[in-house]
Amino acid sequence: MSSPNLTPERVAPPHQPSPSRRDLLRRGAALAATGATLAALRPAVAQAQTPDGAAAMRTPRRALHLADAATLEPPAPEIIALNRMAFGPRPGDLDALIALGSSSTERLQAYVDQQLNPAAIDDSACDALIAAQGFTTLGKSRQQLWLDHVVKQDVTWDERMQPARETLHATFLRAIHSKRQLVEVLADFWHNHFNVYGWDSWSAGTWVYYDRDALRGNMLGNFRQMLGAVATSAAMLYYLDNVSNTSAGPNENYARELFELHGLGAENYFGVASTVGADGGYDHPAPKDANGKPLLYVDEDVYSATQCFTGWRIDPATGDFRFEDAVHAKYSKIVLAQNIPSGSGVQDGETVLDLIANHVGTARYISRKLCRRLIGDDPPESVVQAAADVFHSQRAAPDQLKQVVRTILLSSEFSTTWGEKIKRPFEYTVSLLRASDANFAWSDSFRYRYEALGQALFNWRPPDGYPDRKENWSSTMPMLQRWRLCNWLLDGWKVGGDGADKDNLRIDCRGQMPAEVTTPIAIVDYWAQRILGRGLPEDERQPLIDFMAAGRNPESSLPTDQIDDRLRFMVGLIFMAPSFQWR
Amino acid sequence: MFKPTRRGFMVGCSTAIAAWTSGLSFTAFGSAEAEPNQDILIAIFLRGGVDGINIVPPIAGDDRGHYESKRPRIAVPVTGTNAALPLDDRFGLHPGAAALQGLFQDKKLAIVHAAGLTSDTRSHFDAMQFMELGTPDSKSSTTGWLTRHLQSASNLPGQIIMPAVAVGNQQPTSLLGSRESIGMTTPNDFNFGGHWYYGDRQREAMRQLYGGASWLHQAGLQTLDAIDVVESANPGTYTPGNGAVYPNTSFGRSLQTVAQVIRMQLGLQVATLDLGGWDTHEYQGDGGAGYFFDKLAELGNGISALLLDLSNDNGTDHTKRITVVVMSEFGRSFQENASRGTDHGHGNVMLVAGGSVNGGQVYGTWPGLATDQLYDRRDLAITTDYRRVLSEILIRRLGNPKLGAVFPGYQDYSPLGVVQGVDVAPDYAVITPPAAGQRIYLPAIQR
Repeated sequence: MSSPNLTPERVAPPHQPSPSRRDLLRRGAALAATGATLAALRPAVAQAQTPDGAAAMRTPRRALHLADAATLEPPAPEIIALNRMAFGPRPGDLDALIALGSSSTERLQAYVDQQLNPAAIDDSACDALIAAQGFTTLGKSRQQLWLDHVVKQDVTWDERMQPARETLHATFLRAIHSKRQLVEVLADFWHNHFNVYGWDSWSAGTWVYYDRDALRGNMLGNFRQMLGAVATSAAMLYYLDNVSNTSAGPNENYARELFELHGLGAENYFGVASTVGADGGYDHPAPKDANGKPLLYVDEDVYSATQCFTGWRIDPATGDFRFEDAVHAKYSKIVLAQNIPSGSGVQDGETVLDLIANHVGTARYISRKLCRRLIGDDPPESVVQAAADVFHSQRAAPDQLKQVVRTILLSSEFSTTWGEKIKRPFEYTVSLLRASDANFAWSDSFRYRYEALGQALFNWRPPDGYPDRKENWSSTMPMLQRWRLCNWLLDGWKVGGDGADKDNLRIDCRGQMPAEVTTPIAIVDYWAQRILGRGLPEDERQPLIDFMAAGRNPESSLPTDQIDDRLRFMVGLIFMAPSFQWR
Repeated sequence: MFKPTRRGFMVGCSTAIAAWTSGLSFTAFGSAEAEPNQDILIAIFLRGGVDGINIVPPIAGDDRGHYESKRPRIAVPVTGTNAALPLDDRFGLHPGAAALQGLFQDKKLAIVHAAGLTSDTRSHFDAMQFMELGTPDSKSSTTGWLTRHLQSASNLPGQIIMPAVAVGNQQPTSLLGSRESIGMTTPNDFNFGGHWYYGDRQREAMRQLYGGASWLHQAGLQTLDAIDVVESANPGTYTPGNGAVYPNTSFGRSLQTVAQVIRMQLGLQVATLDLGGWDTHEYQGDGGAGYFFDKLAELGNGISALLLDLSNDNGTDHTKRITVVVMSEFGRSFQENASRGTDHGHGNVMLVAGGSVNGGQVYGTWPGLATDQLYDRRDLAITTDYRRVLSEILIRRLGNPKLGAVFPGYQDYSPLGVVQGVDVAPDYAVITPPAAGQRIYLPAIQR
């Protein structure tokens, strides 16, 4: 039976763009079809608190045992590397990686060295692509951004948002096309670690600086440097209210998150306890290290740190950091049992940043987060400790973070674990676009459909950043939305415009498959190898062969129109299958 | 010791469909546990800070004088066109909400005035976070109050197909951290998004792709089941009961979605909806007319349609087990501004509607509108913490007295009497979240 050669029609009616939260709050005036309305807020599903991740999914009708991640056969280390150090392979990436050596160990070493030296990687194709987009803000200095997009009067909302919008667009382009993939993976990590909601005027207007200089400029460098750059950025100073922090009216928002999220981490919180000792003097209640320094922090540390950061401001004339002594708390303070003498001015805050950056607790907390991103949700303590040791011992080194990442990537845990983590929406989408060699172009409809997956970039409001555990991304809504996006990308995402190719799909499966691949088995195996770099497990492979064959002999060549009709849907199934979700 | 209830989001596809078509109630799936809760809470959040003083304005006494002098243009008149509809001898109802007057008179609508979030903030974002997380002055929780209600309630059936629905494109903060809530705009949109022909074949293949036993396979299968269940309910051909007509707006469609899901008998416990556009800084509407009139009409007609619809589901009246609660992050400034609008305020109204409501009254201690009675000499004060109203619904309607879990730190509960039901002593024990390796947020310590 031959299937009819039909122009696929979409069943669902075209969606209206959903109103941004800004518009929800305003009088419900008709939405202008401008970029401003597309700051659509789709908060992602946040962290679960139930320890038993499987409870809500367990049913009496299904098998009550769940396969451990450990029983899932890890793929080759090269494939693991491409899924964790990069946003999945583009066609040819696996071969290039294999060519770097004669064993997995050699290849990984070479690949890690290469990726940790991004300046030496020729990325001219991606650079040219970005240059061709007509961006006007990506090269602006901190001051230019401030003057042009934050303080300038008579500027439309679109213009204020432009640095954030262009960064968003460029971030997608780089994630899809750059050869410096590890840089892109790490940029994504640090944006979430030092989360700032990017679509307010203070942050959006200076976003290029925050992304390019504060984060990307430091993420292979020194953590203390990065901490300082973030702490003095307009984005963070406004986002966490430190610009409102005065001696008379302290605002502890930044100081609290500095301890709880940026530095020591909640895992190093001692608990509710006083610093007043039995004799009425200062006595930090936490256990101490060999030098008498507290290993954990208490709320009093946060309050004192708040006082240290009073007066940290942005100069309204230039957008640079400025210290306002008049509102600074001048008395002496004690943070983490460290005396901070009175009258030290801006040095107070610098000392707090030093204390945080030099603390072993920070080394462990940050290393654990990096391992969670690069390995698995609950990374083995062994690799966390190894990375933390490097973090702490190299805390003065200019390439401290590069060394930490190297330690993680070259660990045995990195290349031997699998199945504990799935791709978050950004990785899912980008890895799909890379593997399919998509003819990518940014558009509002792409952005709208992408954001339905729940990880709109720079769009997470609370300071903890997008969650990084599988529970948050494997419930019904995130799963359904990624399937819907996949279906649209493979079957509905067209070139558009006015050219002769306007009805062409941007993902051309047919055109990429060699002419001699014509049997259902060969077709499925070809695409599995193309997308995953390996064959599909049998329980995924067979349904795809059946789908492609539609009753015909799977070992015989299919009629051309059957391939034409079914191929992209079969490819979509690979992208929706479990195998493509793991990382 | 925190223990998540053993509640599965389950469906055996064919079983659910069979049960639905034969009209069995969801309790057929329940286990032999204590009497399962059948009540449903529908939480509507008005985003932007709704002007409660103009929804329920004073119509008599000194307060009427203050009201007219502070709002020379936008006050709701007591006579003539767009006059306030009388509720009692103190308060009237904005004419835009005429549909709610009927509910009030039928004793299905209770109003709590001078209620709200006591936190000293006029920031939309902060106030919404405090309110929806259920932790005033703290934004550190990783769960919303409805999430914690679902986690702590001990009277829910062992298996529920669809315990919580967040209608709209965004998961609200009140359901933050919930792994049981389904987001949908309309049941029609909760679909695979596939090709009209190949999509179905893909779904068949997907069932095999996700037939394995790992957590990921389970998650995929649940999603496929949810799609099947919603589809089998044939949402496209929904006919509201009693000829109810929902507003032809996104909000109206959201309400209809809730009604559909309730009628699909999937065990719905909680639904959330948003209605935005209330941040009326300018041209709010003079003399009881204008923008605010239309917005209130949408709200009132919507709630009224929902209750009308669900009072006749092929002969079944669901409304006795439904409670609708309406809240907003703060009220608006008592004094109108130069642009004929209002700025961010403090005290507000809360609305509670349903078949088991002690309606027909305006509850709460009215603080008055003289300047020295205003909060910050500027806004309506708050005399009823919003958590008090929600707690009463939790205890008397939903049978969950674990206030310490749902609203940690709130210890002042006593019922106002807005809803019917049995009083149970609240359990204020704070349930601390578990396990090393999990993020533990600090409560903000008040100084």
